[in-house]
Formats: sequence, structure tokens, C-alpha cells
Amino acid sequence: MSKALTGKRLLLTVPFEVTSAIRYVEQCRITVESRTGTGSRTDGQAMGRPDLSRRHLLAAAGGLAVAGSFGFAALGTGADALASGADTRVRYWNLFSGGDGSNMIAMLDAFRRADPAIDVSDATLQWGSPYYTKLAMAAAGNRAPDLGVMHLGRVTGFSPGRLLDPWDMDLLAKYGVREEDWNPRLWQRGVIDGTLYALPLDIHVQLCFYRRDVLKKADLLGEDGLMIPVTSTDEWFEVLKKARKVQRKGLQTIGLWTNDQNFQWWFFVAFYTQLGGRWFNDANTEVLFDVDKATEVLEFFRKHVTDGYVIPGAPTGEQFINGAPFTWEGNWSVPVFSGAKVDYGATPLPPVFGKQATHAESHSFVLPHQAGRGGAANEGAHRLAAYVVKHALQWAAGGHIPAYRPTLSTAAYKKLTPQNEYVSAMNHQATEPKVWFAGSTGVLAQDLGPMVVSSTMGSAKPATVAQRMKKELVKLLASKNPMDGRTAAQGGAVA
Amino acid sequence: MTTSAQTVVAPARARTAAATATVRRKQGFQHGGWFIAPFLALFALFVIWPLLRGLYLSFTDANISGEGASFIGLDNYREALHDQLMWDALGHSAYFTLLVVPCITVLACLLALLAHNIERGKWLWRLCFFAPFLLPSTVAGNLFQWLFTQGIGMFNHVLGIDTPWLTDKSYAMLAIVIETLWWTVGFSFLLYLAALQGIPDHLYEAAKLDGANAWHRMVHITLPMLRHITGLVLALQILASLQLFDQAVVMMDFGPGPELSTRAFVQYTLEQGFTSYRVGYASAMSVIFFVLIAVVALGRMWLLRNREEGGR
Repeated sequence: MSKALTGKRLLLTVPFEVTSAIRYVEQCRITVESRTGTGSRTDGQAMGRPDLSRRHLLAAAGGLAVAGSFGFAALGTGADALASGADTRVRYWNLFSGGDGSNMIAMLDAFRRADPAIDVSDATLQWGSPYYTKLAMAAAGNRAPDLGVMHLGRVTGFSPGRLLDPWDMDLLAKYGVREEDWNPRLWQRGVIDGTLYALPLDIHVQLCFYRRDVLKKADLLGEDGLMIPVTSTDEWFEVLKKARKVQRKGLQTIGLWTNDQNFQWWFFVAFYTQLGGRWFNDANTEVLFDVDKATEVLEFFRKHVTDGYVIPGAPTGEQFINGAPFTWEGNWSVPVFSGAKVDYGATPLPPVFGKQATHAESHSFVLPHQAGRGGAANEGAHRLAAYVVKHALQWAAGGHIPAYRPTLSTAAYKKLTPQNEYVSAMNHQATEPKVWFAGSTGVLAQDLGPMVVSSTMGSAKPATVAQRMKKELVKLLASKNPMDGRTAAQGGAVA
Repeated sequence: MTTSAQTVVAPARARTAAATATVRRKQGFQHGGWFIAPFLALFALFVIWPLLRGLYLSFTDANISGEGASFIGLDNYREALHDQLMWDALGHSAYFTLLVVPCITVLACLLALLAHNIERGKWLWRLCFFAPFLLPSTVAGNLFQWLFTQGIGMFNHVLGIDTPWLTDKSYAMLAIVIETLWWTVGFSFLLYLAALQGIPDHLYEAAKLDGANAWHRMVHITLPMLRHITGLVLALQILASLQLFDQAVVMMDFGPGPELSTRAFVQYTLEQGFTSYRVGYASAMSVIFFVLIAVVALGRMWLLRNREEGGR
């Protein structure tokens, strides 16, 4: 509750301006540093924080005065003018925290050792929509970093060409990036109107995690110690039934994130794709969403709850660690379960509707729009991105499947378990349609995710929800991308 | 940092002081204007200007980049009034208000009576009841998120139940209401306590002499004397509760809650502006919300005035 008392409001306004000023000075410091950094290196001196000279002080004081009198608005322009001088510092924004965060930092440190001429200044921001909002505003306000990370599904909606700059293919080639080293469909997802805007780093998929110890008791493990293959919904519920007989009492049989709009949406995309369901026609002018297929998927989810395999709301990861036989989870839970010393395996979501397909999103590198993109910082960004995508073994430790295919055939990767068990997911990805409103935590997921949850939880009938989903898709397809005022059909998102 | 801040501030202050002296000589009483000038400048910059700008944006299709906005008249308003999700969000805010306001008013009054009438350790009671109010919303929200979490949370453990407080739409708003009660009751409690202390002792003495027992004194003196403060508490709580936002998003991990059940109006506006990048549309919704709140506030004033006139 905002304690809506005017006194409080007043107190808030002043610190806001002071923080702006501080941030401004901070920006000045960074740019001043990077300038002197470049200079001192040519002089053969060690790089480091330059002494605070009179000039810097003046710049800082000037910054304060400017920020003080014009507030936030002055930030961009002033910092920009100064920033143009920095040419070997690569500013890089990402959204990785936790295990991914430390893996990314390790990869950056490796790059720093390999290429000491480039000074990587990385910033980690809060995952999800706050990150994209900041990236969009930075690009629009011409204060963008040299390199950024983005979910591949969101690239189309991020106004490529306006908020994103295209990759320089010659520069990428110079640093060893070749299209044939990527899965062709994955690579094409980063291509808009024939131009590459996103360089995929990985795919991250939804997996069926299973406890080997429990499944062994239920006789559900094959000779190779992996879960027996499942090819129909009947078989799947048979498996669950057997597992429930041997599992610890008081736990759920499977974790499905029944209450989570993101997971439920990702699972829906996976199984709807297994059924061969389509979203829109190729020109994005017509909704081809198949209500019957959608109903089938929704009923499949609901059955887990009505048959009592799921305890709605129970924390899925903890239940799994405590002995629940199954959980459907993102591959980023691999380090969590490995860290907890669980005896487990992980396969792509079971092909219960006949065809292999599991939901996949992808982290990719993008070049946020800068008015004068070019020069050493831009080349440094290409160099850094190329290095990281090609040295992604560390990244695989976080559970993600590296997009750079040569990594997958290295002996070191093949030894990683359970990564080697689900690496095939690269070849059967279920993805959201390539339209402006798609992508991780995008409008599509935000609108349809809660509908899937309402069906799984029993608040609404699957058939009704499927109709609602179709209605929403019709609405979304007709709506205009607020960034450029064009609908999906006019959006130029050509796959 | 500190030094540079002073260099900037000092000349400004000197200038203001000199100017003030001149004005005082020239205009006498009007010199007060200079004292509020800094406030007015900030107020204009951070309140008046955004307000006007928001009003303007609500008639455009502006996106978050601030580029390429064109005037589209009342289209945003038309769309908003047909936006079921907006009405749902408004419903959630209203539901929250409906639950919180009576509970907090009664609870604050009871706590104040308790703290007022207990002789020993008065300061401790006051501190206990008021302290949560001093916590930032994020701290309070996170704390209760832990307490409510199924499987590890203290509430379920103590009560011996297994309720999915945060992940089921029937309980989620309730969890937020409980958190809000604990967190903000201290403010209303303080208002009541002050009012209780303002009731003159001689009223009670006279009543005692006339043979009124404790219950009669409560019903015929204390409660009527608290009537004005109750009006104030109600008004403040209604306005604050309608603006439900921070504790809800913190407790729901910045999501809209299970099946959108805790998405308040403010949150939906924010999502339209900053997730869907539709700043123009979000502005229009803000204006609608502003009007609704203004109607509530004016309606209360009107009721109050009618009642007072009727009483006379």
C-alpha cells in the first residue's frame, strides 16, 4: 500500500534527484576512466583507476549542477557526449543471476584473460520484464550498452532496426562465427527480414526430471539406467501410477507448476506442438489455433490434478529433492538437483502425443541500438559475443544446451550428465510463433499463461479455456506493436 | 561526492538568501514565497509536469521509447472501458479495500484502547504495534512471503494446516490482506491513541459520579469522541488501499498472482506501460483511476458535510 500521505511523497522527490546526480557522476567517472584507460595503455602504463584530477572533479561538479537543474532528462545527452570517446571498453548488459550469473562471470573472466586489450564492463540486471524495459529505454534514449542479452523469442517484438542494430557478418566471420555451426532453425529465429539481429548462445528447454532411485523400485528404468520411453498419454499415466505405488507417502508424484503461468504456458506450447498445432498462417493474417488440440492438451494437464498426481501449490523443486518421482522443470534446475546430490535423470518432455517436441527458448546476444555504432567498442562487442558462444562449455554446466554445435560433440560435453541425455532437444524445439508479442515473459505468455493455469487448476473447463485462448490470439494478431504501430502481419517477422 | 554537492548547493543558497532580503524589504509579508520556492520547483517538476504530461499522453499512442507518438483522441479511453482485465484488476483493488478497511479500523481501535488502558509497559505496547509500520514494503512483503510459503512457512506449521496461501487464487488476496493488517495497522493505531489521549478526563469523572459503569463510559463517551478520527482513518485507509501495489507484487514475485487474482489496478497499469510498452494506454488508465479515486474522496467529503449539517 502506498502510504498516500503527501509528506511522504515530498520526501521521495528530493532523494530521487540526488540519486540521478550521483548516477550521472558515476557515468562521468566511467567514461573518464575508460578514456584515460585507453590513453595510458598506449603510453605503456598499467590500466587502472585514474587519479581524481581537477578536471574530473570539475566534470563531476558540472554533472551535478546539470543533473540538479534539469533532473533526469539531462542524463542521457550529457553522458552520451562523453561516452563517444570510450572505444575499447565494451559495456555489456545481461540478466543472469544465480548459477547462470556465476557461469557467465567465469566466461567473461576467461575472455578477459584471453583478450586483455578489451575491457569488459558487465552489468547484471533483474530478469524478466524490468530488464527489457530498461534495455528498450536505453536503446530509445541512445544510452544503450555495446552488447546485450535477450531471449530469442522477444527479438521480433523489440523493433529490430530501431532498438536493435544488426550484426556485422564480416566481423563475426573474422572472429570465427559461421552459420553452419548452428542449428538452422535456431539461427533463423534471430534473422529478421534477412538480417541477423540475434546471435544464439544456447537453448534452454523444459525437461522431465525423474528420480532414478524411485523409478528403479517401480521398474521404470531401462537397461541403460534411463527412464523407459513413453509414447502415449495412457502409457504416461501408467508410469505415474506405478511410480506412485513406490514413492514416499505425503509427496506428490509429479511437479507440474500447476499455479505458475509461465511454466504452464511453456508446457502448453510443448504439447500443442507435439500435436502438430499451429498458431497463425505464414503471413500472420489468420489465426490457425486448433481449439480441439488445445482442449486435448489442457485436459491432459488437468488429469494430473484430478487423478491426484499433483499437490497444487506444493513447491516442486523441494518435493523432487525430498523424493517425489517426477518434476517438469526448466533445464536450469540441473545445477540445483545435482548440488542436492539427487540420483536423477532428465529427458525432454515425454512425446505423449506421438511427436517429440519440448519447449525451448534461447538466450542470444544482441546489439542494442546506438546512434553511432561502430569503432572499437562495436568490434569488441562482436569479439566478446563470438568468444562466449564458442566457449560455452561452462555455460552447459548451468543445464543449458550450447547453441554452438561443435561444443556438443566435444568429449567434455558428452561426459556431462544429465545434459547428454537431453541434448537431442536441440533438434525438436517447440517455440512460440515468431510475432512481436511473443517471447519470454512477453505479452503472449502473460495473456495466455493464466488461462492455461485456470484450466489446470479447475477454475474453468478446458474447452472453454481453449476458446478463450483462440479469442485472445485473434485480438493479439490484430493489435499493433506499440513500438512501431504495425500488426504482426505488417511486422516483417519473416522466418 | 559530498564536497561537490556542497559547491553546487552553496551559491544557490546564498542567492536565495540575498533575494529574500530584498523581497522582505520591498514586500514585507510576501518573503515567505521564497522559502517555498524550492519546494514549488520540485513539486512542479515531479508532480505537476508528470500529471499534465500523463494527461497529454493518454490521448496518444505513445510507446515507451517516447518516439513517434501520434494523437489518437479518445481511443485509449474507449479501449480501456472495454478492457475486461482492467475491470478485473479494479475489482481486485476494490475487494482488497473492502477486506482491509473495516479490519484495520476495528483492529487499530482495539489496539489503541488496549495500549491506552494498560498501565504497565505502555511504551512496549506502543512500540510493538507501531514498529511494523516503519518497515519498507519490500521487507514486510518478503517476510510474509516466507511465513506463508507452503511446506516451509511458519503459519501452516503453527496452525497445523497445509494451505497454499500464495499459489491458490482463493487464498492469495487473503494472504496479502493479513500482511497489510500487520504492516500498516500501526499508523491508524497511532491516530486512535492520540485521539484517546485527547478525550478530557473530566467527562469520565462526571460519568462516574453519575454512576456510569465501564461499558457505558465506553459506549457513551469514548466511541462518540472517536467519531471524527474514525472518519479520518477510514478515508485514509480507503485511499491507500485502493492504491494497493507494492506488498502484492513483492509477495507474488512481481507476477499477477495465481490466475491474475492479486493483480491490482496500479499493477495492471504498470504492466501495460512497462511490459507491453503502451505508455499512452497506461496513461489513459491512470487518468481513469485518478477520476475514480477523486470521486471516492469527494463523495466522502460530501457525505461528511451532509451529516454535519444534518446534525446541527
